[in-house]
Amino acid sequence: MTVETSPSGAVDLDAVDLSDRDWWAGPPSVRYATFAALRRERPFAFFAEPELPGIPVGPGYRAVTRYSDLEAISSQPAVFCSGRGAVSIPDVPADLNEFYGSLISMDDPRHAKIRRIVSKAFTPRMLEQLLDWVRDVVADVLTRARRTAAAQGGAIDVVADIAAPIPLRVICDMMGVPEEARANVLAQSNVILSGGDPELIEDQDDPVSAFLMAGMELAALMERLAAERLERPQPDLTTALVTTEVDGERLSSQEIASFFILLLVAGNETTRNAISQGVLALHQHPEQRARWAADPGLDRTAVEEIVRWSSPVTWMRRTATQDGEVNGHRFRAGDKFLLLYAAANRDPAVFRDPEVLDLARDPNPHVGFGSKGPHFCLGAHLARRELAVTFRALFDRLPDLEVIGEPDRLRSSFVNGVKRLPARLTGVR
Amino acid sequence: MRVEVDRERCVGSGTCELLAPDVFEVGDDGVVRVLGTQPGPADEDAVRDAVAQCPTGALGLPG
Repeated sequence: MTVETSPSGAVDLDAVDLSDRDWWAGPPSVRYATFAALRRERPFAFFAEPELPGIPVGPGYRAVTRYSDLEAISSQPAVFCSGRGAVSIPDVPADLNEFYGSLISMDDPRHAKIRRIVSKAFTPRMLEQLLDWVRDVVADVLTRARRTAAAQGGAIDVVADIAAPIPLRVICDMMGVPEEARANVLAQSNVILSGGDPELIEDQDDPVSAFLMAGMELAALMERLAAERLERPQPDLTTALVTTEVDGERLSSQEIASFFILLLVAGNETTRNAISQGVLALHQHPEQRARWAADPGLDRTAVEEIVRWSSPVTWMRRTATQDGEVNGHRFRAGDKFLLLYAAANRDPAVFRDPEVLDLARDPNPHVGFGSKGPHFCLGAHLARRELAVTFRALFDRLPDLEVIGEPDRLRSSFVNGVKRLPARLTGVR
Repeated sequence: MRVEVDRERCVGSGTCELLAPDVFEVGDDGVVRVLGTQPGPADEDAVRDAVAQCPTGALGLPG
């Protein structure tokens, strides 16, 4: 099994293309060695944009790999905006904006006003009250995983049987999405964050239609729930979206649909990949696993380290609104920057021994939830809770979990995704 | 010590609430407020940490 190696080998940067999604499905050791070389030699490396059928090819982008540069850009949202698209390298076509033009790709003051509708639901205090419920969800998922393993001679898939159902159930409960709709929510989120992976986008000549269809499916679900909530308000996030007024007006249907989709997709995919990547990392570092399993006092720092290590969201995009200079790099209005959190999270200028998984790392100012600025992850506290509860429950309830194969990695630059991670419960006979 | 909240900048990320739960609370309006009057000496380190780590730079220590 390949273990992440330290990035000491030489990398031919002229041969690297961050727009090639197959490169992202390759070995992490190559990825991190490349990031290290980029940080050292080309901190604002230029890349041509990926070509997607149906979307005009833009002017290219700069890959920001140093922690200090990333923070400088992220903390100046007026100079480096999100409103021209934060989650896609090409500018998003207008018809996709209907579903994906959420607050993540919006600027203040509108962004802040819309975000505040749900801020309270994701605060540490609110989530403290939900802790027992999250524990119950996790316990139930792990009980089912053991049952699945028993029926399959011990075999399970870490992604399908553990990592996917936990955040899916948590966010769907918070949103008020009924049981029978959840399998479809998962399927559509997978398409939306597929990065174009051929397994998830069947027609490679027309990915835009696949993204549109997925958005329409979730928007249709939202419309059904919204109508019900307007009749009978419920203590859920969907009710908040459809009833709260901003500047004396309710949100537009486009704003509600894209916010609804954002919450579902982001709530689902990021934590899932943090769990999958975390299980894999602990498998590759058994001494760290043993240490954490034996010491619940390590939960807080270990969760942060898992997020730094896995960087579930690899990048967000910013676009310059004016000419200027950042840390000695001159830029023009319209220039695109890819903030590579996964690279900044291994910057030796900030992290000692960044290629070492250290579950006791403290302080750990990682940017796995984003850097400074108004777009800092809305669900950060929720994700932390889910991860802490999940790993503790894994140690307690599935101590015999053993990864037995290579992860099947998503072909996407955007999320550090794992599609499948074969494992078995050695206690099943 | 006195801590100020810029209500335009705050997005209610809850970072300060996590770091100094006795001092800060995100309100129903999604903007943070300072609990009680003003933080005492026992909270000083936590408050400075919260001010430094606020993602939007919405917290300030005037003077």
